[in-house]
Amino acid sequence: MGTALAGTRVVVTGADAEPGRGLQEALREAGADVVGATDPSYETRGDAEVALAGAVERLAGHPLDAVVHSAMPAIAFEAVDFADVDDERWEAVWEGVMRSTLFVLQAAYGQLKERGGAILLITPTVAMSGAARLVPYTTAVEGQRLLAKSAARQWGPDGIRINCLAPAPEHFPIGVDSMTVSLAPPALGGPGDVVRDLGPVAAWLVSDAAHFVTGVTVCADGGVWMAP
Amino acid sequence: MSKRADARLGGRTVVVTGAGQGVGEGIARACAAEGANVVIAARRAETGDPVAAAIRDDGGEAVCIVTDVTRRDAMAACVDETVRRYGALEIMVHNAYRGASPHRLEDVDLELWERNSRTAVWGSYYSAVLAYPHLEVAGSRGRLILVTSPSGVEGSVNIPIYSPVKAAQRAMTKSLSREWGPKGITVNCIAPVAASPSLVDAFRQNPVLEERVASRTSLRRIGDPERDIGSVAVFLASDDGGYVTGQTLVCDGGSFMGL
Repeated sequence: MGTALAGTRVVVTGADAEPGRGLQEALREAGADVVGATDPSYETRGDAEVALAGAVERLAGHPLDAVVHSAMPAIAFEAVDFADVDDERWEAVWEGVMRSTLFVLQAAYGQLKERGGAILLITPTVAMSGAARLVPYTTAVEGQRLLAKSAARQWGPDGIRINCLAPAPEHFPIGVDSMTVSLAPPALGGPGDVVRDLGPVAAWLVSDAAHFVTGVTVCADGGVWMAP
Repeated sequence: MSKRADARLGGRTVVVTGAGQGVGEGIARACAAEGANVVIAARRAETGDPVAAAIRDDGGEAVCIVTDVTRRDAMAACVDETVRRYGALEIMVHNAYRGASPHRLEDVDLELWERNSRTAVWGSYYSAVLAYPHLEVAGSRGRLILVTSPSGVEGSVNIPIYSPVKAAQRAMTKSLSREWGPKGITVNCIAPVAASPSLVDAFRQNPVLEERVASRTSLRRIGDPERDIGSVAVFLASDDGGYVTGQTLVCDGGSFMGL
């Protein structure tokens, strides 16, 4: 077990599914005290506050240092012709993802504002490249990514950093591979392994070693998406 | 404005939401000047009717259809009325937006979120999904143009919630361009900095801001809604822009250059 994150207390949302599960494992291997949030649907700010408070309780009451937000409702991953996207689906994916992310960020702010800390969102590269039949999902993920940038700008003075980690599309159940994102094959051979390849990047982003890095999106996709 | 034989949008029909003022009005006027039938989809007749009348006075073709972009039935009625009147809808421009006022992200409540989300994102969704059957018929003349903002790329320290709703439009543009490309339809965003009433108002409240915004532009001036932004919309709407899709054209006088 590593020690880079020794004494660092992290809560991971969406830890019951990949890539949240693997990231939780990697952070633990790096020495962090990690708990997976018992995810509610985050329909209200109160839901998110209760979820993070519950995590703090499980950390024996010690304050949090970082929040990794990886939770995503299953409906978001469904590929649908845009012409068939009805109000109910748009509500569930766009509104659902954005509200829950806003509430998790606000709850994280409440936990971190006294001592500073780090927030990490998981935003796959496919949202930046776009993909047919995934309009609701890619729209919501880009919304998340810009929520992170705005938060980074406002909460920097509070010592809170917010970044995004962008894995390859293969890590999500959306039926999209890296060759959809770019014609070039992954420079490093493939989409990588969540624990071994993405984990160290996540660990770095929440660690003090990244103390001067905020508002950025780090693509850890094996060298596919290289914009800008 | 006379009917020119070389008018770039002659015979085509465009709906512009939020066209009762500012950038929307500029886009509507520029499209009309190139021969398009223009529907001024405005929330209030008090702003939409005068714009349509001014275009007609100049020899163009325009009508105001009062439309609330946040409601599916209202957008559907606008699209139906447009096609009933002009026989087709080739170009849908969603520009309407309401909700920007300075705030702290930790204080954002559902009311503020909804105001932003409904006009920018639900409005984009309704514009796109309801125009689609007609854009499909238009084929390679079909256009969807969403008006976004450089803030949708950079994030915002003053109006943080504005950035995600503007980013959402950019993402829709990319995915829809891939999905609809095989039909010939193009989908793009315009990210303007222009002297819209809301920006002029912000300058009035904060005189330092105007100098700051202008001095950040390479061209040292704030864009004119019709001349500087409308012309870009015309390019994208016309055959000239037919090979440009999935893009955000930043029209800000050379300020943001991060793409």
